[in-house]
Amino acid sequence: MSFKSDEDHIGNTGEVQMDKSQARSMPSFDDSPDRFRSTHPDDRFSGASGVLFEQAMAQTRMAICLSDPHAEDLPIVFANRAFRQLTGYSEEEIIGNNCRFLQGPRTSQEPLEKIRRAIEEEDVVVVEVLNYRKDGTPFWNALHLGPIYDADGRLVYFFGSQWDVSDVRAAREEERIARVMARELSHRMKNMFSVISGIVNITGRTRGIRSEAAEINSRIQALGRAYETTLDDAAEGDIDMGDAIRAILSPYDDGDGRLNLRGDGTRAPFAGISVVGLLLHELAANATKHGAWSQEGGTVSVVWGSSADGNELQIDWLEQGGPPFEAAKIQDGTGTAIMERLVAGGGGSIEREWTDGGLLAKLRIGV
Amino acid sequence: MICDKYAIFLLDDEPLILMDLEFAAEDRDYQVFSASCVKKALDILEKHRDGIDTAVLDVTLQDGETCLPVARWLEKNGIPYVLHSGDLNRQNEKLRELSAPLIAKPASSDDVIKRAIGQIAT
Repeated sequence: MSFKSDEDHIGNTGEVQMDKSQARSMPSFDDSPDRFRSTHPDDRFSGASGVLFEQAMAQTRMAICLSDPHAEDLPIVFANRAFRQLTGYSEEEIIGNNCRFLQGPRTSQEPLEKIRRAIEEEDVVVVEVLNYRKDGTPFWNALHLGPIYDADGRLVYFFGSQWDVSDVRAAREEERIARVMARELSHRMKNMFSVISGIVNITGRTRGIRSEAAEINSRIQALGRAYETTLDDAAEGDIDMGDAIRAILSPYDDGDGRLNLRGDGTRAPFAGISVVGLLLHELAANATKHGAWSQEGGTVSVVWGSSADGNELQIDWLEQGGPPFEAAKIQDGTGTAIMERLVAGGGGSIEREWTDGGLLAKLRIGV
Repeated sequence: MICDKYAIFLLDDEPLILMDLEFAAEDRDYQVFSASCVKKALDILEKHRDGIDTAVLDVTLQDGETCLPVARWLEKNGIPYVLHSGDLNRQNEKLRELSAPLIAKPASSDDVIKRAIGQIAT
């Protein structure tokens, strides 16, 4: 490619070239303000602020145009380089035309109506409108439009700044879809837990093992509650432990002070939730059978947070006001075995101490 | 109460959940009426209008239906009910107006029945 042919390109696609030369430390300014000035001798960007304005116009990546409200059909009289880059049109194709040439088949009427009203009332408006480049590709344009007055308060121009927000809109849309999906998934999963529960109950009844079925079911339901919160903020990737713990223990909370929950806003990754759900359920079931909740006035306090280095989720379970400790009753339960297996599998630990008041269990789970 | 045996109406579009609730109610020796869609629900309720003491309503039903028409019918006829739903977030404005207690799925079917019976004014 010869040097000459490069020069020939300057105008439309040559813009990119100018950026490159800029990178080679050759200052390169958009000269459209110059041309504007030469055709509008009355409007001078004079003085120091004028120079600043010119340079800002030339260098900003914000697409900017001015339209003349006193000429027929509100033609664009100035468009900076960013405007030409955004739209793909050359200056000759832009100047003198109403900016509606950016509209296309899928441009909706609603934002256009807002623009019309703003122009009529000399008002400021910001709308998102679907525009089309010269090559026909659509883009979402966040258009800011407003009147510009001269020193005597007369309307001289309409100012328009354009910003391509296609990516922002796509991200917003993706987020919205993700949220809808998460909710739908959450609903279906809760329903699925319910169906599983039904199957277990019905099987237990037909096989004559109803109490076993009930025990299995209480575990399934604890798990279901633990997942309930996770799915509601599934888009986040991790979950608020407080929400999960509250949901898991909600059936045990009579709102009368027998369950006290205290924690910081610790968030933990999704993966640990089934362990936490089942562990808390086992502790609660044991407390109901043998511990603090087996008698009037017994309470359980659950305190959670993360370790100083943030690598460990810590949950303390403290029973108070329970019956005297009877080792035999607690040690042999299958629940205890399940707890230890679960925690060990997750690389965590559970320490249990019995005091006169009841059990203190310290769960430590790596996150 | 004319008789000492409660009659409970159950609405759920998932047959296994419905059956589980039916069993739980029968275990307590209650009389059970059940339906899986709004139309059938209203038919049964009209027919047994004076014989039903309380109800359990699944909120989101098949084919885009919700329990709303059934809930309104029960309210009009002074019959208490509980909502039983896995869909806690997506309830629209109209469902939010319903003042009945909401039981989150999954819940023990026995607890659901107990809560429904608990709504009956004594």
